[in-house]
Amino acid sequence: MKRLELILSRLLWLVPTLIGLGVITFLISHVIPTDPVAILAGENATAEQIAALRRELGFDRPLPVQLLAYFQDLLRGDMGVSLFSQQPIAEELATRLPATLELTFAAVLLASAIGIPLGVVSALRRNSAIDHALRVVTVSGLAIPSFWLAIQLQYLFAMKVGIAPLNGRIDGFGPEPLTGMMILDSLLQADWESLGGALRHIALPAITLALPAAATIARFTRAGVLEVVTSNYVLYECAMGLPGALVTWKYVLRNALISTVTQIGLIFGVLLSGAVVVEAVFDWPGLGAFAVISIIQSDHRAVMGFTLWAGAIFVIVNLIVDVLHTLIDPRSTR
Amino acid sequence: MMPISRRPLLGLAAAAAATAAMPREAQAANRFVYANNSNFDTLDPHVVFDTARVAVRLNFYDGLYRWVDNPPKLIPWLAESHEVSADGLEWVFKLRRDVKFHDGSLMTADDVVYSIERILALNLGAAPLFRPLLEPGATTAADPHTVRFRLKEPSAIFGSLVPDITVVNAKLVKRNERDGDWGRAWLARNVAGTGSFRLRRYDPAVGFIAQRFPDHFAGWGPKYLDEIEFRTVLETNTRVLGMIRGDYHGTDGYMTPDQIDRFRASDTVQILEQESMRVFHFCIHNDRAPMNDIHFRKALVHAFDYDGFINDVLKGSVVRNPTIIPNNMWGAPPGIEGYKFDLELAKAELAKVKAPLRPITIGTLAGFSETEQAASVFQANLRKIGIEARIESAPWPTVSSRMRNKDQQYDMVPYWKSTYYADPNNWLGELYGSRYLGGGNVSYYSNPEVDKRIERALVSTDQEERQRLNEEAARLVFDDAAGVWIYNTKWFGPYSKRIAGIRFCPVGSGQDMRWAHFA
Repeated sequence: MKRLELILSRLLWLVPTLIGLGVITFLISHVIPTDPVAILAGENATAEQIAALRRELGFDRPLPVQLLAYFQDLLRGDMGVSLFSQQPIAEELATRLPATLELTFAAVLLASAIGIPLGVVSALRRNSAIDHALRVVTVSGLAIPSFWLAIQLQYLFAMKVGIAPLNGRIDGFGPEPLTGMMILDSLLQADWESLGGALRHIALPAITLALPAAATIARFTRAGVLEVVTSNYVLYECAMGLPGALVTWKYVLRNALISTVTQIGLIFGVLLSGAVVVEAVFDWPGLGAFAVISIIQSDHRAVMGFTLWAGAIFVIVNLIVDVLHTLIDPRSTR
Repeated sequence: MMPISRRPLLGLAAAAAATAAMPREAQAANRFVYANNSNFDTLDPHVVFDTARVAVRLNFYDGLYRWVDNPPKLIPWLAESHEVSADGLEWVFKLRRDVKFHDGSLMTADDVVYSIERILALNLGAAPLFRPLLEPGATTAADPHTVRFRLKEPSAIFGSLVPDITVVNAKLVKRNERDGDWGRAWLARNVAGTGSFRLRRYDPAVGFIAQRFPDHFAGWGPKYLDEIEFRTVLETNTRVLGMIRGDYHGTDGYMTPDQIDRFRASDTVQILEQESMRVFHFCIHNDRAPMNDIHFRKALVHAFDYDGFINDVLKGSVVRNPTIIPNNMWGAPPGIEGYKFDLELAKAELAKVKAPLRPITIGTLAGFSETEQAASVFQANLRKIGIEARIESAPWPTVSSRMRNKDQQYDMVPYWKSTYYADPNNWLGELYGSRYLGGGNVSYYSNPEVDKRIERALVSTDQEERQRLNEEAARLVFDDAAGVWIYNTKWFGPYSKRIAGIRFCPVGSGQDMRWAHFA
């Protein structure tokens, strides 16, 4: 019952959150001194032609009227049309989602595979040289700017060693899109060449996103393990002569991972709402790259669409994390 | 508990390893790959009219005439010839009879009429060039192979504009119109042209792949490209590294000297060097104090270190251009050396300014380091003569929007004026003619003597007279120190050493791929 209440209250909160987000983004978009109509009209357009286009697009109406019209459209499920591509924004977001989803899954898997073992080792060897070394690594992982890391990885693995591509999702256009996720589509069509290409292309952007995420996961795992490892039941199991590895990986880790799972969920949400910098550096055609281009072009509706999407994803992922939290730790619903 | 199998992981690793050592070129035989610095969010030739996405218009579509080579010359293309009535109002174009669209249907005059009506109705892309000259409904098909344009006023530049009437397949587009949208939603994602290449795959987030159109009316020589791929690669560094690695066969030719040096040092890249028609200048707001005082403007033009900027900052990679018209364009006034960098002269001019001095604002283009470098050079020298300059950097859309608004316009903006059509009006008329105020004329300069010459040059059919009028007008603008004109760009086209046959034209920036082939 408690869990259902939690879900319902979070879903109810989603509505004012998105309205607030929409209003703020709308106002910011219209306060900055950029005129998308002038950009759309082109360098050679006269003032009269720009004014005519502005009237035609309804951009000459008062801001509150435009805002109201936007929300009315939203209620009908219409996010509007991109000013430049003339395609529905919902469609634009949907076509880019698989690329971001694929990258997010890869990065989160990699980050978890690196971060959790590092956190456990660090906690079990507390204050040892390994712990100190891992702490330096994790702090560095958090401190290094992703654009710098991306460029260094490109330089090293693409230019010097030559084992990874510089950018993009695949050479050319890859297999016929079924799900839009290159790796999955290649597997479904047994297209091994495309699969190899997709794996090679995803490696560097996934590593760039995974390293700082792995640092966060390692720190939370370390703290969780340290808290659990000194508890009575663990001491009891050790005293009973259970093998250390069994105690650690089966009994300690399950209880220690509660806050780590929350962090993984949050990281997933952040990445899914668009890893803007990394997607831009690697020309990864996902939501982040779409956001960058929309902002550069001052395509207000596209920016609004992306922002609302990111906000909704973040709230929903948070909700899922909270529900997971109650499943892992039933005490949290009491 | 289910045992974990290593097989799927080994399979993935093997698949990755199988292609690991395979360079991109090997995977795409005879496919030319171009790294484009802008995204292809639409393929509609009547919506986009910028140089960054010119590849769509040049390779999928054709115009009545076509610009080729450098200096640009017009050659008959979809039209075989044209005639102009004595009053200069009626332009009649005879069309070729053997032009096929990509779907195999024949192009007729109805397609040309539909295309120009569509351009005017959408009011985007090249429409600002045509709307002052053509009313909707003023273009008619005299017969299936004759098109008649009835202009609002005589125009000497109409002939230079017809390459931009890119012809679409009227029947096909009409079949895909929705709610009277002139097929805009459909044509954003599809191609309905006669061009040298036809669309194979397109993803707005990635770019497009196109195949050679064997039935193109102009035919093909013994060597050509089977496929072209234009990929969006926004990061300059990635484009440079990708060229050096051999991932791409071509990219944009207006990079900084440092990047050009990296290309020159590479074994895989050749640089094709040409003087272009792209003038770098500081636009001055002529209608705001103290810039509305000619002495202040003269102080400005004498306070820029032209040689230092060209030779030291840009390593001599460009050519000094003393007026707004490119040196290599007819109409550029001969014998003008350009303003000299002379701070004493600048101080003397400044002493004559009556209005109180104030700090001035220079708006630069974020991401275009040359504009920021030029502004910094200027700022340092302006300080020496007692003028404080504040530099504000913003993305081009923001700067561009502010420039169009007389009150929001910066005091000065350094930027390039590219070639949209090869006529002095592209630079002189549009930047300093009163008829373009608030449009291209973002310096808010207005001089009746200049206007008189520009207006006459726009209607005269006498080439000698047009040249003289443009030269005179350019001299007047120069004497008024209406801008700080610095250099004409050189195009350093980076192409793979395996590529030959590139025909650079300032209008197309080397992206017209029908002439190119693997060596």
